[in-house]
Amino acid sequence: MDRQMGSSTRIERGVTIVDVVGQIDLGSSPILRKTLLESLNGTKSVAINLSAVKYIDSSGIASLLEVLKEARNSNKRFVLFGVSGAVLQVLQLTHLTGVFEICETEEQALIA
Amino acid sequence: MDFHLKLIVPSDPRFLSIARAAVSEVSAICGLSEELCRGVTLAVDEGLANIIRHAYRNRYDQEIELNCQTDSNRIVFTLLDWGEPPDLARICGQPLDDVSLTGRGTHLMKAIMDEVYYERVPGGNRVRLVKHLSSDKGRIDNDGSVPH
Repeated sequence: MDRQMGSSTRIERGVTIVDVVGQIDLGSSPILRKTLLESLNGTKSVAINLSAVKYIDSSGIASLLEVLKEARNSNKRFVLFGVSGAVLQVLQLTHLTGVFEICETEEQALIA
Repeated sequence: MDFHLKLIVPSDPRFLSIARAAVSEVSAICGLSEELCRGVTLAVDEGLANIIRHAYRNRYDQEIELNCQTDSNRIVFTLLDWGEPPDLARICGQPLDDVSLTGRGTHLMKAIMDEVYYERVPGGNRVRLVKHLSSDKGRIDNDGSVPH
């Protein structure tokens, strides 16, 4: 399991994609929150790739929720894709699978 | 298999991954499924994070004692800190809704573990998280629902 969290940002067909790797926890979630809020600038749509995220806790979920709220407030789209078993398990346990827009693949996130 | 593992963890988020690795391995040694190992690890991690944030108010130079005790029926994780007592209103867990940014850690602990106890001890606080080895609490059904 990657101990550190890392992220990188790219643009595909007008959608800002944030690729995240590693573990999202109390220590790394503030960095993720800052990265995602900044990614909302200058775009209409942000997709976060969680396929390489092996762990997320409630502070990470709270960061995603905060970004979702900010996106909604500014009429922007925020979508999750590549949600792994570990991340999906936390979203299900917190009853949030219906709150986020979740796509299976990057292609689906780009065309939705 | 009965054993007792004791860790002294600094109240610094950088050390949470070490505690998670230990909890995950203990759970696996006790025969829990991969899904339940992940859940138990998450529940203990949430307990540790709550101590860092609330009992120690994000002071990273304190100590948390993490004990893992097992027998043939259950795993008992005990978290001991010497910080401020928990806010009972908060740990009772507010109802979840899609606008709430807080309180999900406590909800997760209760959704995954079979027993969660908070106790005041001389000079500190103790959280006991119990997982019965025969329990599937915290498992997700194939349709995505959480069994009760």
